Amino acid sequence: MSDLWARVEPLLAAVERPARYIDSEFGAVHRTDAAYRVALLYPDTYELGMANQAIAILYDRLNGLEGVAAERAYVPWKDMGDAMRAAGVPLFTLESVTAVSSCDLFGITMPYELTCTNICEALDLAGIAVRAEDRAEGDPIVIGGGPCAFNPEPVADFFDAILVGEGEDAIVEIVEAHRAAKAAGLDRAAVLTSLAAVPGVYVPALYEPADGTVAARPREGSGAPAEVVKRVVADLGSHRAPVCPVVPFMDVIHDRANVEVLRGCTRGCRFCQAGMIYRPVRERTSDDIVRDALEQLRCTGQEELSLTSLSTTDHSEISDVLRRLSAALRGRAVTVSLPSLRLDSFGVDMARLVSEGSRGGLTFAPEAGTQRLRDVINKNITEENLLGTVRVAFGEGWRRLKLYFMIGLPTETDDDVRGIGELVSRVLAIAREVTPPAERGGIRIAVSVSTFVPKAHTPFQWEGQLTLAEVQDRQRLLRETMPRKGVDLHWHDSEISFLEGTLARGGRGLSRVIERVWRAGGGFDAWTEVFALSRWTGAFEAEGIDPVGLASAARAVDAPLPWDHISSGVSKAYLAVERSRALKGVVTPDCSFGDCTACGVCPSLGVDVVLAGESRG
Amino acid sequence: MADTAFRLRVTYGKTGRLRFLSHLEVARACERTIRRAGLEYAVTQGFNKRMKLAFGPALPVGTAGTAEVYDVWLKRFVAPDEVLDILRATTPAGLTPVRAHYVGEREASVAAAMTLADYEVVIGHPDRGPGRLAEALGDVVSSGALEIEHKGARKVYDLAVCLPEGARVREEDGRSVVSLTVRMGAQGSLRPDALVREALLRADMSEQPMSVTRTGLRPEEARA
Repeated sequence: MSDLWARVEPLLAAVERPARYIDSEFGAVHRTDAAYRVALLYPDTYELGMANQAIAILYDRLNGLEGVAAERAYVPWKDMGDAMRAAGVPLFTLESVTAVSSCDLFGITMPYELTCTNICEALDLAGIAVRAEDRAEGDPIVIGGGPCAFNPEPVADFFDAILVGEGEDAIVEIVEAHRAAKAAGLDRAAVLTSLAAVPGVYVPALYEPADGTVAARPREGSGAPAEVVKRVVADLGSHRAPVCPVVPFMDVIHDRANVEVLRGCTRGCRFCQAGMIYRPVRERTSDDIVRDALEQLRCTGQEELSLTSLSTTDHSEISDVLRRLSAALRGRAVTVSLPSLRLDSFGVDMARLVSEGSRGGLTFAPEAGTQRLRDVINKNITEENLLGTVRVAFGEGWRRLKLYFMIGLPTETDDDVRGIGELVSRVLAIAREVTPPAERGGIRIAVSVSTFVPKAHTPFQWEGQLTLAEVQDRQRLLRETMPRKGVDLHWHDSEISFLEGTLARGGRGLSRVIERVWRAGGGFDAWTEVFALSRWTGAFEAEGIDPVGLASAARAVDAPLPWDHISSGVSKAYLAVERSRALKGVVTPDCSFGDCTACGVCPSLGVDVVLAGESRG
Repeated sequence: MADTAFRLRVTYGKTGRLRFLSHLEVARACERTIRRAGLEYAVTQGFNKRMKLAFGPALPVGTAGTAEVYDVWLKRFVAPDEVLDILRATTPAGLTPVRAHYVGEREASVAAAMTLADYEVVIGHPDRGPGRLAEALGDVVSSGALEIEHKGARKVYDLAVCLPEGARVREEDGRSVVSLTVRMGAQGSLRPDALVREALLRADMSEQPMSVTRTGLRPEEARA
């Protein structure tokens, strides 16, 4: 283990934002004496990666283990990557400035499909073979995790192992299994076999991948499970939110204290992968939330606190939590933020509780412009909910609103797309009606429209995605029918959504495409200004894979899918039922508010919905 | 107003790896240090309530400082030595506070009052010795003006205005150390490394500045 700082330092004078590479932040953990070292990489830049809560949780958890050091690594921006290659400096961990390749375990989170080329870049810069099969005995075990682990096939060739599901307990078992295997002097292949015995761990080399007619299955004699079932923490209260996470110097995204108030969401939106893979709902108690929030603020000195989750205002005791926090934080110039609000007057009540009299912006997600389509996607809100909420919010002094919509949802017609503009017009009309004339000029509605991408493990996993031309047509229609005055319209890059669609539901063959794109200079594909679809179309062609078919063709419900060997606990039968209900426009209620809807998670994983209060209201 | 009676001036360093921080990054880090310290700070009024905090002139990314300054308004009196101890415990190494004292509410802001900045620029192993460098620096200064290109824009500095005192060169541990004082004004402040680079170029010396450190900030009249 040697400190590379003397070779890194001279490179920093000539690169953008050197603060990405200097460590030294308050809260960074330096355990130079640990015998077992883990590098945790976010496959993008520091300023994006520092916002990732999964890394923060694992960093905290691993550094709490005897004899273990966890250190952070990020993908250097291109200027630094080039400078490092020219100077022969390998990818290093921030804390000890040592080569990632000298670590025992190299953990890479996979937050988003388009970070895949950066996984290749990080491995190569680290001096580790990009493909798992080419790695040497002395190389670290490269393990992935995160949302993209639920269809790991497109990146499976790059990983020795992939954890499916939540990491709090699993990471400890993985480290223990690896340490025991090393102590026993096992070779790399035997180490991987022992890791495959840890529940939730998928070792791609032990499987025959799906080939379109047959689902993926364990190789004969491998001993690997036929189905890798996601890990889930039954009680969130058994792990505290990190008390003293690293405090960045740089202006990173979501630069604030974060306390996760609940995990999972059972509202059941049929396009939403997070809503399916993070089940069931588990709330932290209000005492735990307030304690962790205040301690984290005290320890980090952050000036903003975010109460994170997929649906924070659904927490059964959220008003209590917010009242206590705003009382405790009064006069300290600390803002409390809620990621997005429930679309009813309760959401506005909650926003008022944390606003200390000032009125920033409110964010809601109606997702579709017509009731018919909202029923198809199971977004259980009505136009009356939205308009009533807008009336209350603007009546109380809010002037800025952000609305999220999607286009390209299954069964969508031009009328549904026009419906978005029409709905926004009605929102504007009500906002103006209840706003005093002198203040009407300040009304701003930001409308953000993304393109639907069918994701694995959702009721829409069999649906086709719109073709590029269709998306561009609907975006044009959207622009033409959207009111202009008072509205800022944003839409997603259609080419990026198209590529996301190929990667989200692709199989093992995509690893070769990804590697080819990276070798042709790809990387940072999630950055619109860097992304080039042409690099990808060329690579697809060279590998003989039709990307349009991959993204846009509907799949038969009884055909094997590349991710059939990965289980989220939600049964495929439930997803199929939800799909047919969607096509009939029949909604399904939220089980955390009422009766079980038989998705299968609780019985198959031995867990249950955990509410902090008596019930959700 | 009682809330703003205790205006504490903190002198701190920006050293080691943290010299790569930008001014905004330093400001944010200092604010968070104060919050972590549990000091009761005053808050600005207005839509976005913020800690009442004022910084001295910005230091560029890569330039170190050993006597940087900010003012923070506290709600109650805490003995300066005590504040210093608390702050030191909550500050990342590299931004360590070295001095703290209270100043009058009417006193001018650090940025307005401190118009002179002392710098040290270190150059490694000059092959023609400090004498040649001193001579070249003198030549540049007596030429009267320095034109600098920064991010595509050209700017001409009037050296008689920017450099109220002559540059001095001394040798230390086999390196040359240039000490100079820069006057900061409405036209911005001359980067001392730019001046030294120009001198090195004129002296036909191949070395480059290894480090730049601002060692002091002071008001003009202090030495008048």
